[in-house]
Amino acid sequence: MDPELALLVNAIISGLLLGSLYAAAAAGLAISFGMLDIVNIAHPALVVLGAFAVVVVSGGLGLDPLLSAVLLAPGFWLLGAGIYTAYHHFFERRGDQALHGLAFFFGVMFIIEVGLVMVFGADQRYVDPSYASITYYFGDIDLPLRMLVPGASALATIGALALYLRTTFTGRAIAAVAQDPEALRLLAIDPVRIKRFAFGISVALAGLAGGALVVVQPIDPWSGHVFIGRVFAIVIMGGMASLSGCVLAALAFGVAENVTAAFYGPSWSPAVAFGALLLVLAFRPQGLFGRAA
Amino acid sequence: MAGSASLTITGLHAGYGAVRVLEDVGLTVAPGETVALLGTNGNGKSTLMHCVMGLVRPSQGSIRATLDGQEIDLIGHSPEEIVELGIVLVPEGRRLFPLLSVEENLLLGAWRAAARPKRLANLEFCYDCFPRLKERRRQATGTMSGGEQQMVALARAIMAEPRLLLVDEPSVGLAPLLVARTMDKIAELQRRLGLTVLMAEQNFPQAVRIADRGYVLVHGRIEYAAASAAELNENQLVRNLYFGS
Repeated sequence: MDPELALLVNAIISGLLLGSLYAAAAAGLAISFGMLDIVNIAHPALVVLGAFAVVVVSGGLGLDPLLSAVLLAPGFWLLGAGIYTAYHHFFERRGDQALHGLAFFFGVMFIIEVGLVMVFGADQRYVDPSYASITYYFGDIDLPLRMLVPGASALATIGALALYLRTTFTGRAIAAVAQDPEALRLLAIDPVRIKRFAFGISVALAGLAGGALVVVQPIDPWSGHVFIGRVFAIVIMGGMASLSGCVLAALAFGVAENVTAAFYGPSWSPAVAFGALLLVLAFRPQGLFGRAA
Repeated sequence: MAGSASLTITGLHAGYGAVRVLEDVGLTVAPGETVALLGTNGNGKSTLMHCVMGLVRPSQGSIRATLDGQEIDLIGHSPEEIVELGIVLVPEGRRLFPLLSVEENLLLGAWRAAARPKRLANLEFCYDCFPRLKERRRQATGTMSGGEQQMVALARAIMAEPRLLLVDEPSVGLAPLLVARTMDKIAELQRRLGLTVLMAEQNFPQAVRIADRGYVLVHGRIEYAAASAAELNENQLVRNLYFGS
């Protein structure tokens, strides 16, 4: 293969792998921010919390990190349900959610980050799954399992979740709840219960994404910061409430960043990726997969 | 789906803060009846509907439903509990989920425990009643016309297997021809399902066309109770309010 072409193909492939990691980090936000109208600025911090929990559990029990993340998911669901209950009680119920709610989630973010520094220190942590050093080669194309396994698991999880949201009563109620909570009550559906359940799912997804993240790269308590802009941009670009749109936008983001980095240097990649967001919003304000009302 | 359902409201007072909206309202809806609650804007029709559904807590009075021979005091129950009993409101302004498709809206209607197992049969029934909705089942309801949205709202309520159906101002925002069609559909649903219907409406001639009886609500009080549609048509108060003569 022509070296230039090989560089491009490799940049696209690793961009897709990076993009599936972005999808993992953004999918939970597509639920909380996209569907529930809850601006959870702490989402990336919860991803990092998940990564640290996975480091502890997989290190302590000698388990595979992704399996550890799955075992931790119910705990993260409970954490999410708890956070939503507090958010609802102190802000949403009183109609204070717009500004005070945002401040609340900033607070949650800082508490998580400072808590992690106090417990684990500021050093980087990593895991070493059995497949970490294996890379498949197809001609000039590299497929490192360290990227492929978490990326594929993330996409499979999101696919299962999308199916759940589309085919179940609770899934449809989650999609409807932000549009008209009172109308849900008139169908015997308690909107607060639905939101609590869905927010729990979004935080469980953050925990799972943390497991995927720590397989790919070492993390420290502030690793979430580089994701804040990206995950919100991805959810907006994907059309807010659409998981398939979120995945597509995440893959596009990953490819745009990686191809730019391969040919023009990494410092250009955010500019190109966020430039793409502006273009999408200019021509499709509802996002790639957004439903026009 | 039939089974008998009736509603009895006595001495109902309700308001918002210091504003009194309903004063000493009493009405009954007997099993299988279609009763019209007539009145122009701002006379308390919606508030009365919201009291029955548990969205507004009355300050005084009683609201009792009899469902299959069992009498239940509705006051103090949450809207979710009241819907679970089989009392379903088609709200004013339709209140659909605009980003969801027709079918997603309809299936949400079947959340009620008693309605879930029958959702596919009920969906068939709704599509049979409203063939247009079957054609458009994948369309987001926010992009539909007012008349089509009103069909979705009615069908969504039917998906909940109501025994007592409340309909709040189905004519709002619709062209006259569509108002007539909507009324015909309500009458058709009532007949085919054996429903008990209480309908709040300000389009007097159209409401009277399908109602068995009616009440006229003026400034939060029942000013007139008519024992038949013919009586409503001939009443002087109604003529003054609606026809200016």
